[in-house]
Amino acid sequence: MASTTASHATPPSLSLPPSQFARLQPHAYLLAHLSPPAASNQPSLRANGRAASQFRVTSANAGSLTHTNGSAVVRIGDTAAVCGVRAEILNTEDIASWSVSHASDEQTDDKKSKSEEGDTDSQDKEDRAHIQDLNLLVPNLSLSTGCAPGFTPGAAPSALAQSLSHQLLSLLHSTRLVQADDLRIWYQPPNLEAEALGEQMDVDSEESGNPAREIKAFWVLYIDVMIISLAGNPFDAAWASVLAALRDTKLPKAWWDDDNETILCSDDIADAKKLSLRGLPIASSFCSFEADAAAGWRSVIIPDAEEQKAQEQKQKKQGMQQRWVLADPDGYEEGLSQERACVVVDKENDGKAKTVIVKMEKHGGWALDGDDMRQLVDVSAQRWDEMKRILDQC
Amino acid sequence: MADRRRINGPPGGTRPPVFASVQQSSTGAADRARRQRQPAELRKIFLKTGLIPTASGSSYLEFEPSASLAAARSNPKSLIPPSSALKLACTVHGPKPLPRSAAFSPNLVLTTHVKYAPFAARKRKGHIRDASERDLGVHLETAIRGAIVAERWPKSGLDITITVIEAEDDRWWGDAPNSHDASWGMMNVLAGCITAASAAIADARIDCLDLVSGGVAALVADDESPSSTGAPRLMLDMDPAEHQSIVSACVVAYMPARDEITELWLKGDSSRAALEKDDERTGHEALVDGAVDAARGANTVLAEAVKESMERSIAQV
Repeated sequence: MASTTASHATPPSLSLPPSQFARLQPHAYLLAHLSPPAASNQPSLRANGRAASQFRVTSANAGSLTHTNGSAVVRIGDTAAVCGVRAEILNTEDIASWSVSHASDEQTDDKKSKSEEGDTDSQDKEDRAHIQDLNLLVPNLSLSTGCAPGFTPGAAPSALAQSLSHQLLSLLHSTRLVQADDLRIWYQPPNLEAEALGEQMDVDSEESGNPAREIKAFWVLYIDVMIISLAGNPFDAAWASVLAALRDTKLPKAWWDDDNETILCSDDIADAKKLSLRGLPIASSFCSFEADAAAGWRSVIIPDAEEQKAQEQKQKKQGMQQRWVLADPDGYEEGLSQERACVVVDKENDGKAKTVIVKMEKHGGWALDGDDMRQLVDVSAQRWDEMKRILDQC
Repeated sequence: MADRRRINGPPGGTRPPVFASVQQSSTGAADRARRQRQPAELRKIFLKTGLIPTASGSSYLEFEPSASLAAARSNPKSLIPPSSALKLACTVHGPKPLPRSAAFSPNLVLTTHVKYAPFAARKRKGHIRDASERDLGVHLETAIRGAIVAERWPKSGLDITITVIEAEDDRWWGDAPNSHDASWGMMNVLAGCITAASAAIADARIDCLDLVSGGVAALVADDESPSSTGAPRLMLDMDPAEHQSIVSACVVAYMPARDEITELWLKGDSSRAALEKDDERTGHEALVDGAVDAARGANTVLAEAVKESMERSIAQV
C-alpha cells in the first residue's frame, strides 16, 4: 500500500479548489470573501458575488395558469415560488353563527354605507371582523415539492412550511391588503309589498321603502403557494408571488338567484372585477453574519454592552469589520447565520409619499441594533421601488 | 378532522362558483374546442433541465396550449378556460444513502411522488395526495425502474418528486356534469411525468439503459368523423377537452434504442377501430403502436434537453 502511494510522481496538492473549500470551511470561506486582505485591493463581496445590501435578480410573471382566478410565478435568484388564487363561495347559510351575530348588524352597516363612506375606522373593524373571523383568506405554502433535499415529499408540512404559511396569513391580515367589500356578494330583495300594494295606496309606498340589502355569500380566496425551488429566503419570494397573484385576481360577477336559491356567476370577462388592494407591501429579509464563528454559541453570558461597543469602535478604526448584514440571503448564507430580520414596507400614495413600516421582525440574536434596523428600513425602501417596477411589468 | 398543520378555510366548507351560462344551455356544443391538429400530429413540448439547483437533477415540462386555449388567452372573453395545457416540475434527489432503519437492498431504491398543486385542475385538489395521485406515482415508478441500471447503487435511494402545476382536463368542461367515464387526463399527465422524470434523471447523471419517454394515443369517436361507420379513429397525443367521446386510450413508456416498452397502461375498449383498408392490425395493436409513435416524438425533444444539460455542465467545468 505504502509503496503504491509513494510511487506517484507528484505529491498531493495542498490547495483546494474553491468549491471544496466552500463545503469544508463554509464560515471561513464567506468571511474571506467579505473581508479580503487589504493588500489585494478587492472590494468586500459575498461568496455569490453580490454586495452586502444587494438583492438577487428578481423576475415575476402573472396570469399564466389556466385554472386559477389569479396566478403568479416569482423567481428571486434560484428561489422560485408559484402562487395560484382560487375563489370559492361561502354561503352565509353555511356559517354557523351568521344569523345570530350579523343579522342585526347588517341594517346598521347598510345605513352607514349609504349615509357616508368616510367612516373608515368602523369600516376597518368590520373588514377585519369579516375576513379574519370567517377565514376568507386561506394561504397555504407547500415545501414538499422536492424543492430542497431536506423536505420529504408526501410528509406532513414541516415546521418551516407551517411557520411560513402562518406568516403569510398574519401579514395578509395585518396589512389589510384585501378589502372585505370585494369579497361580499350582496342581494337586494325586490320590494314585493310595494308592488302589490302600489295599485291601492300610492301614498304609503314611499314610507315603506326598499327592504334592506343583505349579504348572501362571501368569496373565499384559497391562496396556495408552491415553492418549486428553494435556495434561501423563501418568505420574500412567497410574499411577492402572493402579492402578484392577488393583483392578477379577477372575481366573476356573482348574484343570488332567487329561483334556484343559489349564487350564480357570470362567466363574461367584462363583468369580472379585479380586487382593489390596499397598498403594495414589499417584504425584504436580511441575515447577520458574524466574523466570529462561535458568536452564536457563546451568548449565554450577556455581554457588557458598553465594553463591547468600545471594542467594536476600536476594531472599526482598524478597518476590521465584525459583522455584516446581508440582504436577501441565499441558502448557503442562511446556514451560516443565526440572526434574521424581516422588514415589510409600503409607500403611501403610489411611492410618492413617505415610507410606512408594515411589519418588522428580528430574531435569533441581539447583534442588530436600532441603527442597523434603521438602515435596513432604508434598504427595504429602495427594494420597494425595484419590486414595484418588476410587479408593474408582469 | 381538520388538518391542524395547515390553514383551513371556513369550517362549513365552500362551493366552487356555478356559472349561469352553463345552466342555461346544457348542450353548448358550439363552444366545444375542436382538434386543429392532424391525427398523427403531436403537440409541441417545452422541456428544460437544471432549473432547481438544490436538487441533483431537475426538469420542467410544458405542453403547447391547444389552439382554442391560445385563442382564449390572447383574446379573453369567458372566465371558463376551454382546455388546459400540462405544466409540471420534476426534481430528483440522490442517489443518497438509505436511512439506517431501511432493510438492505442490493439495488437503487426508487421512490416516486406525484402531487397535483391545489390549483392544478378544474376542481380544487386537496393538499394530501389522493388515490389517483398515488396511482400515478406507481405507474411512473414502473416506467422508470425499467430504464435505470439499479445495481450500480446498492444501499442507496433515489427520490423523484413531480409537482403538477397545471393538469390536463379529463373531458370537455361542458360534458363534465353528466359523464362518468374514465379520467383520461391522467394518461396525458403520466406521459408528461415519464418524459420529465427521464430528463431529470439524466440531469442527475444516473446511469440508464436509454432515455425513456412517454406517449399517448387514443381511439376517439367524434360526431363529425368522416368514416361513415362511426368507428373510433386513432389519434396521437389527444387532448381530452377536444373530443366528444374517447373510447380507449393507451400510455406507453418507451425506450427507442432498445425498442422496449417499460410501462403500458391501456384503458377502455380497443376492439373496434377504423384503420386503413390494408391495415391488418387489430385495434389494440394500432393503439399501442400509436402510443409508441407519440413516445418517439417526445424522445427527440428529450434528447435535445439532455444534450443541453450536458453542454451546460461541461461549460461549468
